[in-house]
Amino acid sequence: MAFGLTFVIMVSIVFVVLGVIGYFVSIYNGLISLKNNIEKSWANIDVLLKQRHDELPKLIASVKGYIKHEKELLVTLTKARTAFMNAESMGEKAAADSLISSALKTLFAVSENYPNLKANENFIQLQNRISGLENELSDRREFYNDSVNQFNIRIQSFPDVMVAKRMGLAQPREMYKVPEIEKQDVKVEF
Amino acid sequence: MASDDEGDLLIYSVFGFIFGIYLFFKGFEWLKLKRMVENMPTSKIRSLAMGLVEIYGEVVPAKGHLLKSPFSAHDCVYYKYEIQELRRSKRLTYWATIKSGKKGAYFFLKDNTGQVLTNPADAEIDIPLDFESQTLNSKNNLLLKAFFKSINFSDAGFLGSGRTLKYLEYYIAPKDKLYIMGTAGDNPFVEEGTGIYNAADIMIQKGSDQIYYISDSNEKDLVAKLKRKTFGGLFGGAALSLVCLSIIFIYLGVF
Repeated sequence: MAFGLTFVIMVSIVFVVLGVIGYFVSIYNGLISLKNNIEKSWANIDVLLKQRHDELPKLIASVKGYIKHEKELLVTLTKARTAFMNAESMGEKAAADSLISSALKTLFAVSENYPNLKANENFIQLQNRISGLENELSDRREFYNDSVNQFNIRIQSFPDVMVAKRMGLAQPREMYKVPEIEKQDVKVEF
Repeated sequence: MASDDEGDLLIYSVFGFIFGIYLFFKGFEWLKLKRMVENMPTSKIRSLAMGLVEIYGEVVPAKGHLLKSPFSAHDCVYYKYEIQELRRSKRLTYWATIKSGKKGAYFFLKDNTGQVLTNPADAEIDIPLDFESQTLNSKNNLLLKAFFKSINFSDAGFLGSGRTLKYLEYYIAPKDKLYIMGTAGDNPFVEEGTGIYNAADIMIQKGSDQIYYISDSNEKDLVAKLKRKTFGGLFGGAALSLVCLSIIFIYLGVF
């Protein structure tokens, strides 16, 4: 065979080999970045959970004097805060987060029954701050679920599934689920 | 003896071979970018976290930071221009770029949850051509005259002889929809922690992450575009190199 033809065939093989290696490297790097996205997006939720956790004692102190008849609600909120403080795993933190979100939702709804509390400057500020954090938290939970969804789709698609299995990443991740209690309407008695 | 045409073909083939290899490796860069765009979920501006983020929204100019595009005098927050001259060699007629530049201003990107300050400096900006003209003349256009002076350029030919010039302009105008993948970092205009909302403390900029990409396509179109580029780069680059290499070998008589 002529030298030229042999050389062209060899260069073709080099292109194919480089292409295949490059493609699999891009899958590997993609899976690593997806995995890190999930961890980062959870860490970003955690930052906001801590901020909200730090605001709770101030909120409890500001409402204590006004809603004496809602002692049970304040106890629930304090218990939920303690549960968050003691939570270590992601699942425990998520459960405590749900309890706090639910108790806060009830507290803000109940506050409508207390005009003096509603007019309190300090309470209004804390309510705005915590509501802002709640909104950001809901965005970040959504972002977390998007990250998990993309990871789960990728590790189950061909050819990524082959690389994911070799990397030990074949196990789908769990979404951040809103508990049933949070989906229920808050009952407010007038 | 080889003719001039064959000599030219050899030169083009050598360039084609090198360009094909460049395209092939560029294909991997596009593949990497495509994967990043696909992998990164879009953040809502209200809840942006520090680090590499992907956002999509509408351009709102920052107060006092509106620019005028140089040739069409369009309101914008970023523009890129090229001035090309028609040149003729023995066998070729082509447009040569004789002047080019870009300018950007701070702007806000706004979605349905909030807005965030953006500094387009050092971004790779992927926007289509907005304006093209071969008939612009600075004689009766004061704005254009001032712009030419600022870039030290004259559109008059040597001793009054005519030059064929082409003016190209790309810009990002207010209300344009933009896709941005960049770093959410500290906003240097707001003291840490004093922003009245989360995104007020943040500015989108070029960070330690290598990527800072701005496009006027939405994510779906961008992924489709990058897919085409990746395919074209990897397969087109390899094919071009192989064809050119074969031509070189045929010319050298070793095939």
